[in-house]
Amino acid sequence: MTENFEPRDLAERLNLIESMIAEGRRTTKNWGWTFVLWGVAYYVAIGWAALGHPALAWPVTMSAAGVITGMVASRREHNKTSTTLGRAMAGIWISLGVSISLLMMSLTWSRHVDSFASVAIVCAMLGMANATSSIILRWKVQFACALVWWASAVAACFVSDSVCTTIFLVAIFLCQIVFGIYGMLAVSRQHKQGAAHA
Amino acid sequence: MPELPELNPVVHGKLRLALLSLLVGVEEAEFTWLRSKTGSTDGNLGAQLLKLEEAGYVAVEKKFVERKPQSIYRITEAGRTALSEYVQALKQLLGGAI
Repeated sequence: MTENFEPRDLAERLNLIESMIAEGRRTTKNWGWTFVLWGVAYYVAIGWAALGHPALAWPVTMSAAGVITGMVASRREHNKTSTTLGRAMAGIWISLGVSISLLMMSLTWSRHVDSFASVAIVCAMLGMANATSSIILRWKVQFACALVWWASAVAACFVSDSVCTTIFLVAIFLCQIVFGIYGMLAVSRQHKQGAAHA
Repeated sequence: MPELPELNPVVHGKLRLALLSLLVGVEEAEFTWLRSKTGSTDGNLGAQLLKLEEAGYVAVEKKFVERKPQSIYRITEAGRTALSEYVQALKQLLGGAI
């Protein structure tokens, strides 16, 4: 049976194996919307807290954002595929969400919260998550976001209250809203290219 | 002259080969994802996946999500070994042909 195979046919099969393995590993999920959603959630929480309900604004808004993320994600993804890379990414962001939520809620309810330290901690943690994700994905744009978060964390320690808030708002806009939209466009472009090559 | 290796006929089918290669790159995949990546019809895909399942190369988990049936496929250890041996045999044959 082996003698009947043409070298060209065999080479084609080798190419098929390589391209399919790459296709499976390249599988990207569109998570850009979560960055936009959480960016908007931060704005809502900041606005609500400024109106005089900081103890309620952050826990309620963050919990609502978490629930919406879970619901939308389960509807969109439906377990279509699962990769180690995808699980690693989910691990980073879920751990970040839990860490920030626990810390900020505890600080707020114990009345030990300090606006400068809070912004610095949140920015530093977001910088760490973005940097880890960008290094794994080899995504320079996301690493630029990590740099913005880290710079904001450092700046929050040295500036006035109003400037600190402004820095946080700008960082959210750049690294959540703009980056989220960029991520969505990048994945949609990738899907179009994939469809064109199929 | 060294004897040429035999190619595993279960792995050799083009669609089955594509399926094993796709599954080796992911932890698990749903039927619809495999269909979209291979561009195959439901009937043909189901038949080829059944052959791989019968050979012990893939494992399937069937469940209902929001009252819709879902089939999740993953490659088994035997499937990984079969694909790896197939690639080795292919390379050996190609080496002999060049």
